[in-house]
Amino acid sequence: MSTNVLICDDSNLARKQVLRSLPESLSNNVQLAKNGEEALEILRSQSMDVLFLDLTMPVIDGLGVLQAMQDENISLPVFVISADIQPEMQSRVLELGAKAFLRKPVQQTTLNENLQLHGLL
Amino acid sequence: MSSFDLTEDQQDCLQELINVAMGQASDQLARYLDTFVYLKVPSIEQVKSEHLFETLNQDLKATAVVSQGFFGYEGIRGEALLMYQPQDSHRLADLLGYEADELTFDEQIIDLSSILTTTFLNVFASQIDNQMSYSAPRLLSANQGTISEHLNQQSFNWDLALKVRISYQVTDYSFNCDMVLLIPEEAINNIKAVIDRILEDF
Repeated sequence: MSTNVLICDDSNLARKQVLRSLPESLSNNVQLAKNGEEALEILRSQSMDVLFLDLTMPVIDGLGVLQAMQDENISLPVFVISADIQPEMQSRVLELGAKAFLRKPVQQTTLNENLQLHGLL
Repeated sequence: MSSFDLTEDQQDCLQELINVAMGQASDQLARYLDTFVYLKVPSIEQVKSEHLFETLNQDLKATAVVSQGFFGYEGIRGEALLMYQPQDSHRLADLLGYEADELTFDEQIIDLSSILTTTFLNVFASQIDNQMSYSAPRLLSANQGTISEHLNQQSFNWDLALKVRISYQVTDYSFNCDMVLLIPEEAINNIKAVIDRILEDF
């Protein structure tokens, strides 16, 4: 059974960077969202297994997505991938339920280590 | 077509390089001010040299303009201007703990600007396999004559200004500043070539 993956980032380049860093086992069923609103629409209507989420985005940002997921009881592993590397921001996303915070630009090794750590590999 | 007209993919790539650089600059700002900085998506605008003063007309009402030169490999160089609006300089003064000593405020705003400029450009440069050196930052009198004179004294003819609108919200305060990067054509072409190389990888 393939894993349903959602990548949410307003940058096309950043989405491709994440996609290219994914292991083969997670690359077969990937959907892309350009902002938090698009991501939430997908999460509300489909069953996803893992979300890779940027923070600084137009319309609804990453914190908004995490908050909405908490409010609406949408539960799935979330890996935040962001350029906003302030320690307080990292704490906030973890408090809002993210599994891990990864800094941009994402490195394949780091991503895979985190996926392994959280049982997705 | 000018040498820096960008395709949608090139613009997206440049925006992402700038976002990553801005993220680290904001982290440095947060550490400097010992507070949390809420970061918004920076907007980027390209301005031709002949239109700079027209475009920056509003910015030229700025209270403080801090200028700092940068020099990298392969002809990448330019001048970074950080421009603060009058209403924001009061908030900055509060944040920086300014009381009644103008010199202290000047020194602190130069320090703050230098942190933002050098962190931003160091991270930007590292992403395009480059490395920057900097001249000492200078606080300019914020009027068009002084800025024109300063720009005319540059050792290069800059062809394009990359205006990056940076909005910071700092807990109880918020302020905006514009970072304007003045870049000569050789540097523009080099940056564009690097962007194309990055895009070829995808």
